[in-house]
Formats: sequence, C-alpha cells, structure tokens
Amino acid sequence: MKQTGFRRTSAAFALSAVLALVAACGTSSSDEGGDEAADPADAAAPLDPETEVTLTIDCMPPAAEKAELKEWNEDVEAFNKKYPNVTIEGKQTDPCLEPPRFTAMLKAKSQPDAFYTYFTDLQQVLDNDGAADISAYVNDETVPALKDIDPQVLDVLREDGKLYGLPTSNYTMGLLINRKLFEQAGLDPDSPPTSWDEVRTAAKAISGLGDGVSGFGEYSAGNNGGWHFTAAMYGLGGDIVSDDTTKAAFNDETGLEYVENLHAMRWEDDSMGKTQLLKWGDLQKQMASGKLGMFLAAPDDITYMVQQLGGDYADYGMGPMPGGQATLFGGNDYLIKKGSSHDQIKAAIAWLNFKFLTPGTGQFDWARTKADGLPVGLPQPDFWTGESKRKDDELRAEHSTMPVENFRPFRENPVPGRAEPPKAQEIYKVLDTVMSGVLTNEDADPAELLDTAEDQVNQVLANQ
Amino acid sequence: MSRPAAPSAGRPAGHRRPRRGEFARALRRNLTAHGFLIGAVLCFSLFSWYPMVREFILAFQKNEDGETVWAGWSNISYIFNDPAFWDAWRNTFLFTGLALLLGFAVPFAVAIVLNEFRHGRAYLRILVYLPVMLPPVASVLLFKYFYDPGHGLFNRVLEAFGLPAQDWLQSSDTAMLSVVIAATWMNMGAATLIYLAALQGIPGELYEAAELDGAGLFRKIWHVTIPQTRLILSLMLLMQIIATMQVFVEPFLLTGGAGPENSTLTVVQLIYQYAFTFNNYGSAAALGVVLMLVLAVFSAVYVRLDRGSED
Amino acid sequence: MAESQRTLISPAALARPRGKVLYWTAFALVMLVFTLVFIGPLYWMVTSGLKTTQEFAQTPPTLVPGEVQPDNYSEAWNVLDLARLLLNTCVYAFGALAFQLVFDVAAAYSLSKLRPVLGKVILGAMLATLMIPATVLVVPQYLTVLDVPLVDRNLINSPWVIWLPSVTNAFNIFLLKRFFDSIPRELMDAAAMDGASPMRTLRSIVLPMSRPILGVVSIFAVVAVWKDFLWPMLTLPDPSKQTLNVGIYSLAASVPENQLIAALAIASIPTLVIFLVFQRNIMHGLTAGSLKG
Repeated sequence: MKQTGFRRTSAAFALSAVLALVAACGTSSSDEGGDEAADPADAAAPLDPETEVTLTIDCMPPAAEKAELKEWNEDVEAFNKKYPNVTIEGKQTDPCLEPPRFTAMLKAKSQPDAFYTYFTDLQQVLDNDGAADISAYVNDETVPALKDIDPQVLDVLREDGKLYGLPTSNYTMGLLINRKLFEQAGLDPDSPPTSWDEVRTAAKAISGLGDGVSGFGEYSAGNNGGWHFTAAMYGLGGDIVSDDTTKAAFNDETGLEYVENLHAMRWEDDSMGKTQLLKWGDLQKQMASGKLGMFLAAPDDITYMVQQLGGDYADYGMGPMPGGQATLFGGNDYLIKKGSSHDQIKAAIAWLNFKFLTPGTGQFDWARTKADGLPVGLPQPDFWTGESKRKDDELRAEHSTMPVENFRPFRENPVPGRAEPPKAQEIYKVLDTVMSGVLTNEDADPAELLDTAEDQVNQVLANQ
Repeated sequence: MSRPAAPSAGRPAGHRRPRRGEFARALRRNLTAHGFLIGAVLCFSLFSWYPMVREFILAFQKNEDGETVWAGWSNISYIFNDPAFWDAWRNTFLFTGLALLLGFAVPFAVAIVLNEFRHGRAYLRILVYLPVMLPPVASVLLFKYFYDPGHGLFNRVLEAFGLPAQDWLQSSDTAMLSVVIAATWMNMGAATLIYLAALQGIPGELYEAAELDGAGLFRKIWHVTIPQTRLILSLMLLMQIIATMQVFVEPFLLTGGAGPENSTLTVVQLIYQYAFTFNNYGSAAALGVVLMLVLAVFSAVYVRLDRGSED
Repeated sequence: MAESQRTLISPAALARPRGKVLYWTAFALVMLVFTLVFIGPLYWMVTSGLKTTQEFAQTPPTLVPGEVQPDNYSEAWNVLDLARLLLNTCVYAFGALAFQLVFDVAAAYSLSKLRPVLGKVILGAMLATLMIPATVLVVPQYLTVLDVPLVDRNLINSPWVIWLPSVTNAFNIFLLKRFFDSIPRELMDAAAMDGASPMRTLRSIVLPMSRPILGVVSIFAVVAVWKDFLWPMLTLPDPSKQTLNVGIYSLAASVPENQLIAALAIASIPTLVIFLVFQRNIMHGLTAGSLKG
C-alpha cells in the first residue's frame, strides 16, 4: 500500500500538472512584434516589392457576403502580383467591430497588425497603447491620392500631430425616407422634409396610412438615442457641450424645441409607433418591411436594408439633415498595431492604399462592383476632394446601379460635418434617458428632462 | 448553508489507535488528499478567489495612458457621483422585491397545486421545467416579441379578454415588472420542483390532525405546509436574492439595459457599462465591491435570522 | 412517497361527488393554462419561423402560417453559420464537463473521504463563492484571463477560458461531496484493508456507486455552459469561436425577424432534447441536491 499510495499521490499531482500544461496552450500574452520600426530614415520609402512579410488584418468579408469576399480575394491576388512575398492574412469578423469585443481585443493586445476601428475609437486605442505612429510612413509616394483626402477626415486620425491610421469610409447623416410610403401618403418623395416641422407634417400623413405604419422612427436605447439626439442638435445648429468641453450646452431653446417636437410627434400625432427603446438595426428592419416612413441615418443603412433585409433600392431616398446647419459625421479606418515591424507597417499602408484609397481600384473599382451585383451610386464613402473626387464621381455615375436621383436632395445640399462630443458614450448614456423619457412617457416634461440631463452631463464632464 | 455541510460519517482519525510512524502516515495521507484537491483548488484560486481579492485592488486603481496607477478614492467618488448610481440601486431593490413576490410565491403556489393532482404530474413537471432548458437568448427574445405593444401577442390576449392594452417594456411604470415576469417564466421551473419535493416530504398525519381540529384549506397551508417547508423556503429565499441581484441577460436583451428613463438599469448593468462601454475598470470594480458588501450584509442577516429561528 | 400519498386535501373530500367535479375542473384548467403558458411560446416560435417577412409583421398576427416558408430555417442555418456555433458550443460544454468530472470529483472525494488538513476551510471557501454572484466578479475575472497569473497566458478566444473557470462550480462539488458522504465508511475501510490505494477505491468503489449523481452533475455542467451568456460574450470575441447564444445575439440585427426566430428555434432544440431524454435524472438531481439543506 505504501508504494502504490505514493505512486497514486504523484499521479494525482501529475493530473494537476495538466493545469499548468493547459495554461501553456493558451495564446501568449506578450506580442511577437519583433523589430520595432528602428529605421525612421527609410520609413518614407514605399514598400520594396521583394519584401517578405505576413500581414494580419481584420474585417475581411464573411462567407455570407459572397460578392464582397470574392472582391477581397481578387484584390489580394492583384496586390500579390506587385508584392509577391506579402501574405495578406484576412480575418473574417462580422460585424467588423463590436464594442465589448473591441475593448477585450485592446486589453489583450490581440488585435491584428492592421485593425478596423471607428473614427471615435482612436482615444481608446491610444489609452491602451495599441496603435503605431505612422506619420513617417504616409506620404504622396506611399499613398498617391493623399492630397485629395478630405483633411477633416484625416484629422480625425491624428493625435498631437501624429497620424495613426488611414480612412476607409466616412459618412454624414441625413434623413432617410421610404419613397413608396411617401407616394402612398401623397407626399413628394423627390423633396424630403428639410425642417422638423416638415418632418412632423410628413410623419403624420404617413402614419395616417394605418396598417401599423409609423411616419418617423427614432432610437432610445443602447446609447443610440443619445447619438441621434446629438445628430439632431447639430442639424439645428445646436451644441452638446460648450467649446471648452466643461459644460453641457444642449439645454437651450434649440434642445427644447427638438424634444418638444418629438413629444408632439409621439403623443399628439401618434406618428412614431408604440414600440420604443429601439437600437440600431430595429428601424432598418421596420423600414425594410415597409412599416416606417423616415429616420435619421447614414447612406450605408440603405445597403444594409437591401442586402441583409431584402429591401429594394428604388424604394429609398435621402434628404439632408433637418435644420441643415451641420451634421454628425463618422466613419471607419484601419490603425496599425503598435509593435508591428517596419515591413509590416509598410505592407499595411501599401495594402490599404491599394484596397481603399485609390480611385478606380479596390473598393473604388465601381465597374467591378456593378458586375458583381453590388450597389453603386450611394453617396458614401465620400472623402475625396479635387482631382480624385472628379474622377470618382465620374466612375460612380457611369456604373451606378440605382436611381441616384433619389439621393440628389442629400448630395446637392451638403451640410458641414461635425465630430462627436468628448466622452461621447457617457454623454449618450445620459441623453438616452431624455429620448426614452420623451418617447415612452406621455407625461414627461421636456424641459425637466433636459434640466436633469444637463446636470448629469455636467457631472460626467466634471467627473474625472 | 453558508456553513459547510455537517459531515454525516464519523471522524476519520477518531477511531484509529495511534501507531508508530503515525506522523509519516498522516503526512502521506494528507499529501494524497491534497493531491486530489489541487486541480480544483488551483482553478478556484485563479478564477474565483484571486478575482475576489483583485476586485478590491482594482477598485483603487486606474488606467493612465496605458499604465496602471493607484487611484485613491477617485473610483469610489466617481460611482457615488454618477447620477445613475442611485437609479441603479433603486431598480435593483425593486427588481429583487418584485422577483421575490413573483419568483418566490408563484413557484410555491404552483408546487402546492401540482402536488394535489393525481394525474398528469410528470407532464406538468416537464412543462414547468421546460423554459429552464431554453437558451436564454431564445426565451428573452421571444418575450421581447410578445411584449411589443403593436403586434405583440400579450396585448392581443388582453384584447381578447376585453382588457386594456399595456405598454409593457415601453413605460417606466411597467418595464421592470415585465422584465420580472419574463425572468420568472424562464427560471421558475427549478424552484417549483424543489418545493414539490419538499411538499412530498410532509407527513400526511399532520394534515389529518389539522383536519380533526377543523382547519380549512388556508389554515392547513398556514399551519402545516409552510412550517414544514420553512427550512427550504428560507434557503431558497436567500438563493433568490443572490440570483436576482446578478440578473444581467434579461434587462440587457429586453430593454437594451437601461430601459425607459433608466427604469431597468440595474447595478450589474451599470458595472457592465462602466467596464465595457466606458472602459473604466476601476469604477466597475468599485461598484462591484459595493454590491459584494451589500450581499454580504444580506447573507449575514440571513444566517443570524436562521440561527435565531432554530433556537 | 407513493402515488397514494396523503396531501393537503383529504382523500375523503376528493371522493365526494362535489370534490370530484372540483378536482377535474381544476385539473383541466391547470392542464390547459400550463400547456398554453409553457408550450404556447414554443409553438409561436416554430410557426413564426415559418412565416414570410410580411406575414410576420402583420397585425393582428396569424395563428397558423398562411404561406409556409421552410427556407427561413435553411437560410438561418447558413447565414448565422449555426453549424459552427453548435459545434463550438458542444466543444465548450463537453470540455467543461470533462474538466469538472476530473477535478470536481477528485476534490469532492478528497473532501469527503480523505479529509485532509484544512479540508473544511477549503470547502468553506469554495461554498462561499456561491454567495457572490458571478456577474459581480466578471471584471476581475475577465482581467485575470487576459493574463493568467503564474503562467502568464492570455486565454481569450481559446476554449480554456470556458473550461477552466467551469471547474469552480461549488454547487456541483457540494452535490458530489454529499453523495460521497452517504457511502458507508465500512466499505472504504474494507477496501483500505485490502491494500487498495485511494485512487483505486475511488475507481472501483465510489464511482460505480455514484452513477446517479455523476449523471446529474454532468447534465448541470453541460447545461450551464449552454446557457451562459455574459462570460462567453466577453471572452470569446472572435465570431468563429462564439457560442450559440452569443453568436445569435450578435447577428440578431443583421437578419430578418422570421429568420432570427427560426435560428432561435434551432438553437433551442439540443437542450430540449437533452432535457426530454434525461428528465428523470435532472429532476432527481435537482431535488436530491437541495432538499435536506
């Protein structure tokens, strides 16, 4: 017994040693970046075509998006003709970015070499020390169309004068309308409402169609409500925080006017439907199933409704942001992981340039987009200026697959873009309660809601 | 229950006579025993005990430009200054109260009724337990559709009975109740079956004796059923409080977390928001510490009451 | 606890004609209401998954799909990649089961029969974790798996992040320990006399006697992983590694409602089947574990 006893004991210990082994099987938490860009002198030069390097990159289209995936693969092949030794290792992520997943990725430093972010994410990435400064690598040689990229868009990707990423798309918000319902309600779909009074009148007419149709829809949950409140305030020329970002600035005439208008549409006119607490995705579903007349959106919501939800391009149109003073802009970009090697950074820039930043190729190869049955003609992305804009507009018009006329009111009344306020998510959380309050509680007092929200946003801004 | 269960077998070493080499034997026996334990102990250390300690540490740390630094009381003051803090506590207590009212009373009543039937018991038990086995995403999203004030099922049913339609999740007055109803439907199965088993342990003579005293139905429940199941009832009460305090999925999926005018924002939702929306782990941990302390008070009160009632 | 057990209402009262009528009325009513309340939603789910988008959005809703569209199910299967999500979830659930069967059974056995020094303290510390809701610890746990101490590993996106924490299931250890406690001491002593090592005693005496409780613990282990939401949402961010619950949730916005509901129906099948097959064991385990408290 003695001997077996001991042997069994050690067996039990061995068993537990499995734990240690197990741990060894996880991924290492230290990154294998290797040689950090040690040679800035050479940074400005474009990627040597002979370079042998592997580049991981996320937001590769998922299998469900067949055409987009085919284009991605074609582009990789074309890219490899010029750079035969660069391996582009795409990661399919769908959706490309989800905040909790994104946060986890940054904390774990498990982002790929080139990673997809929203314009608003840069601060969070830098807080986690996650992005490489690529200022020295980006110039007219590595990105020939650089001078034609809207400076406002590039500025979003700068911090303290250093450039951290390259844009792939951008948008400004406007008023998305259901043309079919407009016609049915006897409204003119070619001139969408441009003020909130007109929105209210149109919404009333559309909800009058009955059969569960609402005229206008708005978010009020998941911070989406606050986001759209901000967009609407910009449209009216209002502001969310003061210029020195120390105080809330939305509790004024403009804010009150907007919230009262929502209250009237929801409760007096009953033109916003009974179901509230909606988040991104809900209004799109309502409109795609023909139950919603209007909502605030970016142009790519239309693609989403057509491709994922079975809508039809001909049914949708867009007008400028009601009020027309300014509009929230946003977009997507790729940043490059801090610690990536010299060659990885160069390869990433070469790939991003080829795929996303060259009129006529990659995502701007509108002839191919059309041939693959994907939409051409949406006013997004929209970051070109000068010569590139002229060229791109021409190509888009030539290959357009949809009645671009429907977006004329949106395109011809460009509204200046504005970025999101600081501490956006925390402020949106507070503003969500204004939206859910006015949309779910008939007795809610708009002035009181704004007073409370103002106090709370002041607290958020002071709370550090 | 918070105490380790009393061992039912005799003490191991008690009836053994001391021998030579007793120390070596005891050492070996202990080595073997700990060898069997070590896997679980390691897992508990890494994924339960260490995180508990770390929660307290995190509550006093913050992130500055990628570096972790001591934050003093700033996380604590952050959460107490957050306007949503008191909302979240009010909602959590409201939720717990409602969940106890419904989630505690309904399964007990159902168990009493089911226990009286001589037919179809297996079927009814399966029915009650069925929702427990559904993936929560499925049950919660189902309820979301049912609650829809427009084409949702519930308002149709009310209409059919000539009752006024409700706003359900859409009003701050009823949102929390709606969340609790969904949670009760999803989770009542386990409690019901446990009560059912407890009811079956009540000796029939007690009812007979009560009948001889002329007791009616409700007096029998009050004087026999409840006292006889008191132990299990009080245990379940504590378990329910702990379970409801940590409810996450239901409000997260039903109302997007906060709900109309923050009316379904619970403490756990707020922790999630701090950590994963605002990227503020320190404040999330600070709020977690506060919640842990509150639960510890509950447990202590329970143990005190439980002891007192046993005397 | 035989069928004829005496309960709240006296048999004499039930035998009277009025009692019989009342009994059967109540019985019929309960059967009807319970069936509606508990099967109704499932019926709604399966049939709504068969409707067209238009019919689904229609007010008032239809009871029986007018135009049956089984394609929703195959679309949902493809678009949400349910096969992969199912496979992932199975790997996580059965891996967790294996870890719990090895580590938790060993621990419960040690605590019940080998009684090491500090055993009670360890058991107490394990049971104490039952008093702290899992979601409260989610932040430090999450930060821990990002960089596990001692071994310096990041478990995010690897199955270990589900398997290892699943071992910390104090309730299952408690169930096992109680069961092992009920195995007579004499049996163990006899085995020890014959020179059997603790491992051998566990294998040849304890485990064979513990089949019922092992069954119960196994089912709880699998179902717990199957139902978990917040933890896998945070720790398995890679869509190709997600669980059924999380995968469906994150793609919910990008599919039409009828397909989403079809996906929910498909996702519900595995656990329902497990339940219907093992319902006796589950109900037994549920009550066995928590009765005498």
